[in-house]
Amino acid sequence: MPNLSGYAADFTHGILVTLELTVLGWVGALVLGTILTALRVSPIRTLRAVSAAYVTVFRNIPIPVQMILFVFGLPLLGIQYSLFVSAAIVLVLYTAPFVSETLRAGLNTVSTGELEALRALGFAPGPSMVHIILPQAFGTVVKPLGNVLITMIKNTSVAALVGVADLTFTSNKASVDQAQPFIIFGGAAVAYLVIGLIVSRLVASLDRKAAFSR
Amino acid sequence: MTTMTLFDKPGARARKRHAVMEVLSLAVIAAAVLGVYGVLDSHGEFGAAAWQPFTQWGLWKLLAVGLGNNLRAAALGMALSLAFGALLAIGLLARRKAIRVPCRIITDVFASVPLLLLLYFTSLVLPSYGLKLSDFWFLVIALTLYSSAVIGDLLRSGILAIPHGQSEAAQALGFSPLRTMQLVLLPQALRSMSPALVSQMVILFKGTALAYVLGGYLELLRSATVIGTYYSRSLLQAQFVAAIIFMIINIALSSVATAIERRERRRQGTRRSCPWWAGVGYSVWAA
Repeated sequence: MPNLSGYAADFTHGILVTLELTVLGWVGALVLGTILTALRVSPIRTLRAVSAAYVTVFRNIPIPVQMILFVFGLPLLGIQYSLFVSAAIVLVLYTAPFVSETLRAGLNTVSTGELEALRALGFAPGPSMVHIILPQAFGTVVKPLGNVLITMIKNTSVAALVGVADLTFTSNKASVDQAQPFIIFGGAAVAYLVIGLIVSRLVASLDRKAAFSR
Repeated sequence: MTTMTLFDKPGARARKRHAVMEVLSLAVIAAAVLGVYGVLDSHGEFGAAAWQPFTQWGLWKLLAVGLGNNLRAAALGMALSLAFGALLAIGLLARRKAIRVPCRIITDVFASVPLLLLLYFTSLVLPSYGLKLSDFWFLVIALTLYSSAVIGDLLRSGILAIPHGQSEAAQALGFSPLRTMQLVLLPQALRSMSPALVSQMVILFKGTALAYVLGGYLELLRSATVIGTYYSRSLLQAQFVAAIIFMIINIALSSVATAIERRERRRQGTRRSCPWWAGVGYSVWAA
């Protein structure tokens, strides 16, 4: 049995990088996704078109392609970020459309009676969106939104494609060095599984809380 | 699916305001487009030199070969994972714990592990066990491992959504449990889950781009990179063209999924066994 303990530090670091990418990706995708949704339902036709175009383009180009284009293509134009930052940006760009589409479906579940009541009470579109509609929309889509974000955890591994030392990259490197792929990949699989399980537990409990307000 | 109920029909003042906003946002977008154009143009990305290689037939053939490899791997992976997924679904619904629990574990593990990790795994492990397969098979096996788990779970929930009377009737007619599954339950589950299955196809097709990492496998993204090494002036253009091709095929597949979904919903009429978010459109899940 070869000595794998030398890789413990690498492995921990890899898990940390994966977690960092996950959190950054989540925050960015939620923000950008919300903005895209708001644009999508705005009364300004141009803004709606922009949002729709963004969603179509970025959802349908596979994330590996976006990653390679961003990391190897854009530097030709003098646009260059560190690998980690690039990976985080691409994750956000790719995940935001899915967040936006899910959120839009949630918006549609807010009943029209409520919208009419808001209008009768004299709420302007902006404030009614921020205070009444969006909170409810988020409440109904906690679970689907959670699924989108859980899928994103797996997508963080695409960062390994361009050499960010995340969990996938680290385990591949260790396996190449040590020829113990079963143990190493098994460990990585367990790590991904545990992260996913924890997150889905969190989502489920959040969903239960949101269910009260439904 | 529109969300326009939020707004009243605008009055005179609102219409004026909207018109102003419309013009303003158009101006901002035009400025952004001009800015991007300026950056691209200043690096000569629109110049004849950058696009000249694309006049050659062989270059398009290279891209076509790459695309063919993507499609082949996705199609074969889909076919295999439908077969294994069906088996897995049967296992997930088995009455015996000794069958059900291992199937559950397999499903959960392979559904929550990134495809790239599986691809690294197959390309490292299989050769060390004497399986000298081509990169194509490493990719197909990785896709199948992942997708079988997802499809197994999909079919399981599809089967569970079928009214219980169906399997009771089959039992009363003397069908064995396996025959019931094969002739009554699975076909219905496959049908009701068909939009989700097409979306899974989109996921698989997107996943084939990961084979870039194998280096030796000529898929579309790799083809673009190869073009970039021969014509270093045209790397960006080649990647751009590859991205557009990926996009067009995915849009086509997604619209097939939406069409099937609409047809299914019409067929089912009011008999809705799906939760409310089925209306979200399965294409949303193709993350």
